[in-house]
Amino acid sequence: MFTRVLVANRGEIAVRVMRTCREMGIETVAVYSDADTRALHVTLADRAVRIGGAAPSESYLSHGALLDAARATGAQAIHPGYGFLSENAEFADACRDAGVVFIGPSSAAMAKVGSKTAARQLAEAAGVPVVPGAIPADQSDAAVAEAARRVGLPVLLKPSEGGGGIGMKAVHDAAELPAAIAQARREAEAAFGDGTLYVERLVARPRHVEFQILGDRHGSVIHLFERECSIQRRHQKVLEETPSTAVTPALRARMGAAAVALAQAAGYENAGTVEFLVEGSGDGAAFYFLEMNARLQVEHPITEAVTGVDLVRAQLGIAAGERLPWTQADLSQSGHAIEVRICAEDPGQNFLPQAGVLALYREPSMPRLRVDSGVSEGAEVSVHYDSLLAKLVARGETREAARLRARRALDQFPILGIRTNVPLLGRLLTHPRFIAGDLDTHFLATEAGSLLPAPPAPPPDVLAVAEALAHAPTAGPGAAPPGADPWASLKRARV
Amino acid sequence: MSEPGAPVAVTPLGAGRFLVETDGRQRVAYGVRAAGATWVFLDGEVTVVAAASASRGRAIGSDDEGSLSAPMPATVIAVTVQPGQRVAAGDVLIRLEAMKMELPVRAPRDATVIAIKCREGELVQPGVPLLELDDV
Repeated sequence: MFTRVLVANRGEIAVRVMRTCREMGIETVAVYSDADTRALHVTLADRAVRIGGAAPSESYLSHGALLDAARATGAQAIHPGYGFLSENAEFADACRDAGVVFIGPSSAAMAKVGSKTAARQLAEAAGVPVVPGAIPADQSDAAVAEAARRVGLPVLLKPSEGGGGIGMKAVHDAAELPAAIAQARREAEAAFGDGTLYVERLVARPRHVEFQILGDRHGSVIHLFERECSIQRRHQKVLEETPSTAVTPALRARMGAAAVALAQAAGYENAGTVEFLVEGSGDGAAFYFLEMNARLQVEHPITEAVTGVDLVRAQLGIAAGERLPWTQADLSQSGHAIEVRICAEDPGQNFLPQAGVLALYREPSMPRLRVDSGVSEGAEVSVHYDSLLAKLVARGETREAARLRARRALDQFPILGIRTNVPLLGRLLTHPRFIAGDLDTHFLATEAGSLLPAPPAPPPDVLAVAEALAHAPTAGPGAAPPGADPWASLKRARV
Repeated sequence: MSEPGAPVAVTPLGAGRFLVETDGRQRVAYGVRAAGATWVFLDGEVTVVAAASASRGRAIGSDDEGSLSAPMPATVIAVTVQPGQRVAAGDVLIRLEAMKMELPVRAPRDATVIAIKCREGELVQPGVPLLELDDV
């Protein structure tokens, strides 16, 4: 096993990877940009190396700076987390050439599943059903528009190299095509450095259900069951749970076998996720391969919660050449887990990301609750990175127990100073359709009316607290929370 | 401050925590003054009292004074119009990017572009005009 691992990421995922490394007695190396000099992931590592400016291209995306940091600290392996360089085959090769182990799939497997064209062909060859669609060989705007008409509107335009919903555009009307193609292409180029677009038929009322897989270097591939991720905004996941209310044992067996077949066809090693769209529910439901994510997912903790497997530990073992310690028969799902993503965004303004200082930030703590976060009180949320602050994962014997625990935890998760989606998540967890498990990927858009109520007049008890704050001395309780910059409060005290 | 009905008693507990007692029932609230406003958290809901314009950001295109500004610090990706150009309500005028998300600045109404006040690649701050439209 490695004795020193560099984590080429920031925020909650860097913190989470380091936690397992510490448990295993592996030293950790953090890297940071100028915007993250005092970030949580930096303070928790054994060593920390500055890699460049705040813009991701100057730091967390810089192959050279990361490999220099690995060399300078003697790290034997690099864990890429998710996003940034986690699915970059060139970086995986650069690591190998530098004699550093990349903790993830080989660049060859990454190339097979990372591009939607290649992944789709792979799925078809492996007998896994796919959604009707095409990657136009001619990528001119006119040819992409023609492909969309051939596939049949409504369609979804997706970056061929993408993930996380970035750059995806739904088009319902042929007249919208030129503008949508131009925007999708530009976003794809900005986010992934490749403007190649993929056109896919839009499935009505789909559920997003994905399977976690693990493969080792010795040819074994297993799956760790499903994650239901239908609650999304702008094609980005907001709440995930396992098991899915749509998946029966027979459907689970079919989908799990398809996920494993796909990973085997790709010669896939390490942790990965096979995403499916599900139409309908129960034994007769149809499922279509969507894409494979060649990385650890944001929502991996719910799988850990119901299987008892530490996925980062499994990743480290696989990368070190070990055999998977489980067969499929060894694994089972126990209980239910729900994750909600706490994001710095304003749901009342179409989920506009928010930047600023976390003037007050207190995480809840209770049995069978896990909070993975990359921030602390007083931290500044920068405009340079994504808006995910923390993930709250609640476990229960039943779905209802997990739901009630998650709701209760959100009631004890005050984040003040910038807007977050905490109130929205709380309402979501008590929505009748969510309680009934009646989900599809349009849930948030369809139910926005009841989830995004117009702000009511503040109730008397809230106004009374505001009044108490107004009368408190400026430097008194609540005015300068611990962790806030002392100079900032000094300035306020003078005003 | 309490309205007719049950009286509300608030006791500061320190570090931004407040004990709120209503009709013998007690709960813990959290409060802080930040970003020009007073923020209160109670039972999973957040209330921002006396929010200054900066704390919530402004909706793109909601400015009726003829100038449009960014809702948050953002990078200008593209300016898609020119001075003198006629635009229709909903047209994308400027594309911004912040926190990995593209934010289109759209025309709030039919208008003529008077002046462009930003350039591509520029990091812009909220409240600073990006572009001016003629008066209605």
